[in-house]
Amino acid sequence: MGHHTPARPASAPEGQTTGTRRGFLKGVGAAAAGAVSAPYVITSTALGNASTPPASDRIVMGGIGIGNMGSGDQNAFLGRSDVQYVAVCDVRKKWRDDGKGRVDGKYGNGDCAAYVDFRELLARDDLDAVHIATPDHWHAIMTIAACRSGKDVYLQKPETLTLREGPLMIAAARRYGRVVSGGSQRVLEDYRDIVHPCWAGEIGAIKSVDISVGGPSQPCYLPAQDTPPDIDWDLWLGPAPWEPYNPGRCDGNFGTGGNSWRSYIDYSGGSLTDWGAHHFGGTIFATDLRELQPVKATYHPASADGKQAAYASVSYPNGVDIYHNRPNELRPATPSVVHGGSIQITGDGRAREAKPVPVYKGTGGIYGDFIECVKTRERPFRDIELAVNTMTGPHMIGIAYRLQRSLNWDVAAQQFTGDAEANRLLDRARREPWIL
Amino acid sequence: MAYDSASLDKPLETLKAFDWGGDVAAFEPIDAAVIAVHADPAARADLEKRLSALLTAGTSRAAKEYVCRKLSVIGTAASVPTLAALLPDTENSHMARFALERINAAEAGAALRQALGTVQGDLKIGMISSLAGRGDTACIPMLAALLAGDSRTAVAAADALGRIHTPEAVQALTAAGGTSDQAVAAAIVDARLACAESLLKQGKRSEATAIYKSLADAAAAGTTPAAKSTRLAAARGILACLDTTSPS
Repeated sequence: MGHHTPARPASAPEGQTTGTRRGFLKGVGAAAAGAVSAPYVITSTALGNASTPPASDRIVMGGIGIGNMGSGDQNAFLGRSDVQYVAVCDVRKKWRDDGKGRVDGKYGNGDCAAYVDFRELLARDDLDAVHIATPDHWHAIMTIAACRSGKDVYLQKPETLTLREGPLMIAAARRYGRVVSGGSQRVLEDYRDIVHPCWAGEIGAIKSVDISVGGPSQPCYLPAQDTPPDIDWDLWLGPAPWEPYNPGRCDGNFGTGGNSWRSYIDYSGGSLTDWGAHHFGGTIFATDLRELQPVKATYHPASADGKQAAYASVSYPNGVDIYHNRPNELRPATPSVVHGGSIQITGDGRAREAKPVPVYKGTGGIYGDFIECVKTRERPFRDIELAVNTMTGPHMIGIAYRLQRSLNWDVAAQQFTGDAEANRLLDRARREPWIL
Repeated sequence: MAYDSASLDKPLETLKAFDWGGDVAAFEPIDAAVIAVHADPAARADLEKRLSALLTAGTSRAAKEYVCRKLSVIGTAASVPTLAALLPDTENSHMARFALERINAAEAGAALRQALGTVQGDLKIGMISSLAGRGDTACIPMLAALLAGDSRTAVAAADALGRIHTPEAVQALTAAGGTSDQAVAAAIVDARLACAESLLKQGKRSEATAIYKSLADAAAAGTTPAAKSTRLAAARGILACLDTTSPS
């Protein structure tokens, strides 16, 4: 796990820190003791009111990776009265400044601390939880480091970049009793049109699923450009291979066509695991496969005449097959339910008993679910284990595409069976000094 | 698609001077060949030899990176000497490990251990990382010795021993004793917890319990960092060991 003392001088927090939580509460206590002489020291914000819990009951949070998706996550947590947001971390100055600005603007002060290096944020003992929305190649190292430092974690999807990372992340969460929630805010909300009919038993036992979403990531050989002064490029790359700076390599936009990190294999699984995390997540939830992992990935080669592109599928031990980009003419007809043009779920048509649909705990969607679980220590809706199970299928499909052959997966051993080359792709060497 | 060595002549020649921003489409025949040689040992050996030959002085850094990525899929013991030669090279060490970490040959592990004994600083941590990724048990004595070294290397060594988590790794971590370096102490605690979890999964409840109790005692005595989280983790582990219905 890569939680080493920084090799270079530690970056000092930019902006005034709030101090530790205990220090903050001690300050409130001292103010209370001196109330006769200075009663105005105790603010209504600290004491709470009908709609805002007192400071001592709020979850103290920070965020790592505060750019595009990170800013959305930050706003969701910042908007909650039961969260006290105290620190941001980003290797880009603009994101860091913007993130701090949102916090300070919300609270009307300048207290939010800003860090370049996540290890300094995690070293704070006043934080209860962090949200992480960095590129995917950082997810495992940061999540495990956060668990080791006693923080609960809300982790943007896709939670893993490699198959080997998942079990290590689950182990760290369980070892330290941390709440680690995956971060697909769409699974329950956006897929009601397939979730409810499936759980209601309307299409019977699920037989197959067809998902249409982009393919896996590609190598990146964009040309070198001068590294701008507002990014710590070495820390952006972190455990990924050294490559020269290019804005198309590291832009956090949501495209996967070559102008963002989501396009490239060192940082992402591509559209297959990016939007795929939503589509596979929604599907796997709808079909109640969250507790399972596939046992086989099948590569279906392109037709000899080139008219039909290659596609792939994963098979679950209960007999359900999930197809990625299977041609329409090969898909079954009814009975099925669909989600737009991207998901088709086919059942056997024999209606079965309805099951109650699992829902979020607390209020405020998946963010509220996470915060509620931080308070109660329950497992969240997208607990890290369920998230890892969900992402296993897309990762297997990505490897099947890469090797252009079918693969069998031993769930207990977390290895492919009888394919040494495929097992080489379970993980990748991390650039020094990072270790998982 | 059948492997055609001659069709690679031009792409391999072009590759020597490849730089970021160059035309990667020129290398599509190489990409295809990596797939094509899967079930053809002779073709695979030919491709590996031709790629490995590019890992010499005179080829660009980007070309070496490209080659290492390919060798990470098809490389064998035959590529180890050329890859090992890059391990002390700050620019190329990681990509050499990128390939070596995945090559399931004893020679690859030996090369990483050899480098572990000679390189310093971040490169040494890189060797530790790759040996941990391989689950290399032969490096345990070297890792044990590094637990007493500088802080960053000792933390990495402890992490690696936790990843390897064999009885010999447990012994090395137990023998490490106390340290005043909080980061190292925390890493050793984490590694011992990982070892205990592995033992419990194997059904070795008494050995796992011994580790958990040792950590609980140390936490109670205040001789571990983050005593509260260590105590809770150890208590959780002891309960798991007592729960005969839990998977083991």
